[in-house]
Parts: sequence; structure tokens; C-alpha cells
Amino acid sequence: MSMLEIRDLKARIGDTEILTGLTLTVNSGEVHAIMGPNGSGKSTLALVLAGHQDYVVTGGSVHYMGQDLLGMDPEERARIGVFLGFQYPVEIAGVNNAYLLKAALNAKRRTQGEPEVDAFDFLKLAREKMKLLDMDQALLNRGVNEGFSGGEKKRNEILQMAVLEPRLAILDETDSGLDIDALRAVAKGVNSLRDPERAIVLVTHYQRLLDYVEPDYVHVLSGGSIIRSGDKSLALQLEEKGYDWVREAVNA
Amino acid sequence: MSVSAIDTELLERAVRGLPGDFLTPLRKEAAARFAETGFPTTRHEDWRYTSLAPAIELSNLWLRESAPAEADARPSEVVRIFAADLARKIDAHWIVVANGVVDNESLARLNDQVLPGFRAVSVAGHSTARPMTGDEPMTRFNIALLRDLLHITIGAECSLDKPVGLLLIDDADSAATLSQARAIVEVAPNARAEFIEYHASLGANSHFANVVTELRLAPGAAVDYVRIQNRDSAHYQVGRTIAELGRDTTLRHAAFDLGGALVRNDLSIDIAHPGACVELYGLYLASGRQHIDNHTRVDHRVGPATSSEEYRGILSDRARCVFNGKAIVHKGADGTDARQANHNLLLSSRAEVDTKPELEIYADDVKCSHGATVGQLDKNALFYLRSRGLDREDAAKMLTRAFAATIVALSPVRNAQSHIEALIDERLQVIVGEPA
Repeated sequence: MSMLEIRDLKARIGDTEILTGLTLTVNSGEVHAIMGPNGSGKSTLALVLAGHQDYVVTGGSVHYMGQDLLGMDPEERARIGVFLGFQYPVEIAGVNNAYLLKAALNAKRRTQGEPEVDAFDFLKLAREKMKLLDMDQALLNRGVNEGFSGGEKKRNEILQMAVLEPRLAILDETDSGLDIDALRAVAKGVNSLRDPERAIVLVTHYQRLLDYVEPDYVHVLSGGSIIRSGDKSLALQLEEKGYDWVREAVNA
Repeated sequence: MSVSAIDTELLERAVRGLPGDFLTPLRKEAAARFAETGFPTTRHEDWRYTSLAPAIELSNLWLRESAPAEADARPSEVVRIFAADLARKIDAHWIVVANGVVDNESLARLNDQVLPGFRAVSVAGHSTARPMTGDEPMTRFNIALLRDLLHITIGAECSLDKPVGLLLIDDADSAATLSQARAIVEVAPNARAEFIEYHASLGANSHFANVVTELRLAPGAAVDYVRIQNRDSAHYQVGRTIAELGRDTTLRHAAFDLGGALVRNDLSIDIAHPGACVELYGLYLASGRQHIDNHTRVDHRVGPATSSEEYRGILSDRARCVFNGKAIVHKGADGTDARQANHNLLLSSRAEVDTKPELEIYADDVKCSHGATVGQLDKNALFYLRSRGLDREDAAKMLTRAFAATIVALSPVRNAQSHIEALIDERLQVIVGEPA
């Protein structure tokens, strides 16, 4: 059984059809990169998988570990191991970063029938993961993403992922806007999660991140569906020749 | 008889029924003047959104049936239990005013115990503090039927070891009741003090409390004041706080409205001397069919002086709230810095808030700003929290609490903080759980 099975997925926001019939299979242990030009539907795919209310699925199916993912609330998806790293993490003033992280971890543990972690064990875990990501520990006691720099927000997403240890991580343009140090730290966090039991889907515009996190498969998304798939060499070709090259090749 | 009217004969009878003391002539005069206007109605601009009709009906009923009865000198058992419990939750020097009568036992305890410079007296303790009359009908009504008053003075250069707590509590256990309470707080030059004014009411019968608090700050005085209104959800309250600020004074005031069926608060700050610094914070949480109205007014008569104000409200179900914040910068009050903000979170499409920050500026060299917002929970923030595994209700609670936390964090009087947080959490449990 594959971990994620997307069949002919169609979705719109408002009156705009964005995903037009997308098919993708992701197996445990794999890292997939989904690349494509702006407006091709990359972020829509990520948000539909996480269950964002603004997107309406008009056709197709998504199965995760054999279960119908589209029928679930966002929180149910999270609790059974689906994680979305946001392109634009939301700033929530007044909600403590550590408090949210602990609540999220315990929500997942409850679902799995595990005991909740106490404050002491949680802080130990969070600090350990922050060290791995080279993150300022003070960020733990700030409001969620409140006043964080772009790089800090993305690291915070990876921190949440590292603490929650999802089985399927979808990272939406986690590399955009990062300087080289932050990019390395984020890549380190992602690589630390690579595991035969997990799968990672990297949604990205550039191939830069793929120098640090080597994908098993690369897909090109254009016009709401995957128009070409290949191995990591496809990413290098795209970098060199641009997205028009693959679109022309497909149309020819 | 129109509902705003009062039966003058009954009112006079009730006034006559009160014990004779130095307040007697004041009561008579206030009753006569009150009889001319009656209660305010929604025809008055300041009362446009708040109808006192049920409180008026209750007042007339009380005048007809209960008014001549003697008030208990000692608080009832339930009141004493409540007071003891509150004292465990908030560390303060507590004074109990039950059904408008000062509990002299709680006073006696205090005068012996507190730092030198602290003094608190009631009418029984031969207070001669003259309560302010003003021209507000509800303030006249307060004096007309005022049985007792509490007069607190903090001596020059004094500072107390912990806050002074005023528990204004009413017991409507045996019958529908109307109560008038009055506190006069005088803070002498360069004294510093913290106050907690806690409003509570108990009992299954209807109740209407009409409360006036006067704060008089002498030059250089600094006061932190928090008012917590946590009345029974079926009870009514009209409250007015009047503050007169001397030169170089600081007043930080926070108002938390959590309970009550019909609540109207007026906070009126008079800056007639330069150097005053005023911060006002407010938070109102309303659910069901609660009605909470906050009117604030800051008169900047001279400069330089600063006033900043932020009130926030969270409303659910069919709750209705009113915010009217007025800052008047009088002619010649140059160097005034006045800021106002009011933010509201509506958790239901049937909840309603009427917000009106008002600035009237008659001076030239001033800095003024005001703003008001009414909104719902941020959908993207909700989704973000849910995508981390929190269910909808927990996510909503977390965001709602965060909205309220801003005011709690700014609020003065540390000793009251954790109890306020607990009360807010308890209320949010109800508010977030109500139908959207």
C-alpha cells in the first residue's frame, strides 16, 4: 500500500479551477520534489492535502495510508501524521509558541493512545530539536511567529515538524526567502526526518533546496497537473533550461 | 406611568425611611432633583443603545414593597463565604460592602492592621465625606437612597504593602433588591496605592446595583486600579467612576466586565492639572443575551497630559455591547496626547456591538488618535492551529484567549492577575462553546 495516493484530483478556489486532474503516488521512505512555475497549483495542492476550507475539491480522490483523506477535518489529518509546512506561517500574537507546540504534540499523542508529555519532557524535547535547527531558544517563549524574521518562521515550521514527527510531511516553499545558513539548517532538519517509515513532499520553485535534500523523484506541475516526472536530474535540467522547456516538450 | 418615571411619593417615603445622619439633607435634595428627570431613557444620546427598562421596573417594585425595611448591619452567611473565598484568591486588604452597607467588622480589622496613613470609615464610623452629586440622574438616584458610604484615604507619601480590595457584593437571596453603593477614595500627595474593586452578586431574585466610585488624586499620587465586574448573569448594574487628577498624577485603570445581564459603566476622568498620565484598559466578555455598555470620557482641560485607552470585547450568541470613548481636549490644553482604541471580536452573527470612539479637539498643539475594529476570528490562524492537530473549539479558544490576553497583560495590579485570568478562562469556556 502506498502512503499517499492522489488520483485525478481537481480543486478550485472561488470560480477558478486550479488543480485540473493531478495524479501522484508517494511511498514510504521517499522524498518527492514538486516543482513548477508560479500559479501552477503547487501551493493549492499542499493546502488541499492539509484541508484548507477555501479550496473546494471538485473531483478525484486522495488516500493516505488507505484512508480517504479528503473526508477528514484538518486536525484529524494532522493527528494521523500529515504535516504541512506553510509557505506563509501565520503570526498569532498572544498564543505562546511553546504552548501551541505542546498542545499539538499532545493532541497527536492522545490520538495514538499515548500518554501526554509533561512540561519538563516537552521542553527537553523542544530544546534538543531547536539545537539541531540552530534556533534561538528565546523563540519558544514568544507568540507564535510573532515578530519572527522570514528565516525564523521557516525554522519554526521545521521545529514543529521535528517535534511532531509526521509520517507525511508536505513542505510548501520552505526554502523561499532563506539565506544560505537558514537553508542549511532547514535542510538539516528535513534530512534528520528521512526514514523508511516516512515520506516527504517538497514543494519548491527553485532547485536550490534540492542540493541539500536529495529527492528520489521530481515532478513538474503546470496548469494544475503533473506534466512530467523524473529523477533528480530533471530538477537540474529545469534549472538550466527553465519551465518553458518542459512545457514545450510536452506540447510537442 | 412611563417606564422611565419614578413614583415620587414612594421615593420620598424610602428616603425618609433611611436613618438620620449627615447624608439626610443631601438625600432629600438629590431625590427632589432626581424626581425632575427620572431615569435616563434611550432618547438621551448617551443612553441610545442601553435601555434601563428592566432595572427601572425593579426599582419601582422595590420602592413599593421593600424599601422601608431595615438593612442588615452584618453581611449574610453566603456573602461572608464568598468574601473569604475571594480573599484566598486575591491577596489584598479586603473591605466588604454588602447590599450597600459597609461591613464595619472588615473595616476594623483593616485599620489596625494596615500601614500607617491608611484610613477607611463608613457612615457608622462617622464619615463626613461629602459625596459628589454631579448632574447625572443615576448619580442623584445613588445619593437619594444611599444608606452608607465608604471613605478611604491614603496619607501623603504612603505606599501600602498590598492592594486595597473593595468587595461590592449584593445578596438577592430572599427578595428582589436594589442597592446603592458609594466609595470615595482620596489619595494624598505622592502616595502610591493599588485598588481592586470587585463587583459580585448572589441569589435567585432580581437585583439592581447602582454604584458610584470617586477617585481623588492629590499632586504626585499614583494609583493602579482594577475593577472586576462578575455579577450573577441575571442581575443589573449601573456604575460610575469619577476620577479627579491633580498635578503630575498617574492613574492606571482596568475594567473587566464578565457578568451581569444588563450592565452600564461610565468612567469619567477629569484632568484639570498638568502632568497627568492616564492609562485605561477594558475587557468585556458577553454571551447569551448579555448587554454590556462602557462609556468613558476623558476631559483634558490643561496640558501637557497623556491619556491612552484600549478596550476590547468578545461577544457570542445574541450578546450586545456598546463602547463609547470620548476624549475632549479643551481650549488651551496644548501638549495633550490622547489615544483611544476599541477592538471587538464577534463569535456569532447575531451578536452586536456599537462602537464609537470620539475625539473633540479645541486646542492646537495636540496629538490624538482613535480607532475601532469589529471582526471575527482570523480564518487563516484557525486553519493553522487546526493543521497542527487542535480541534476547532480548542483553536478558537486559544485565539480568543490571546485576544483577551493583550488587555490582561497591560492591566495593572499584579495580585489580581491570576484570578482575572482564571475568570476569563471560565467565561471563554462558555462563550466559545455557544452557537456561532
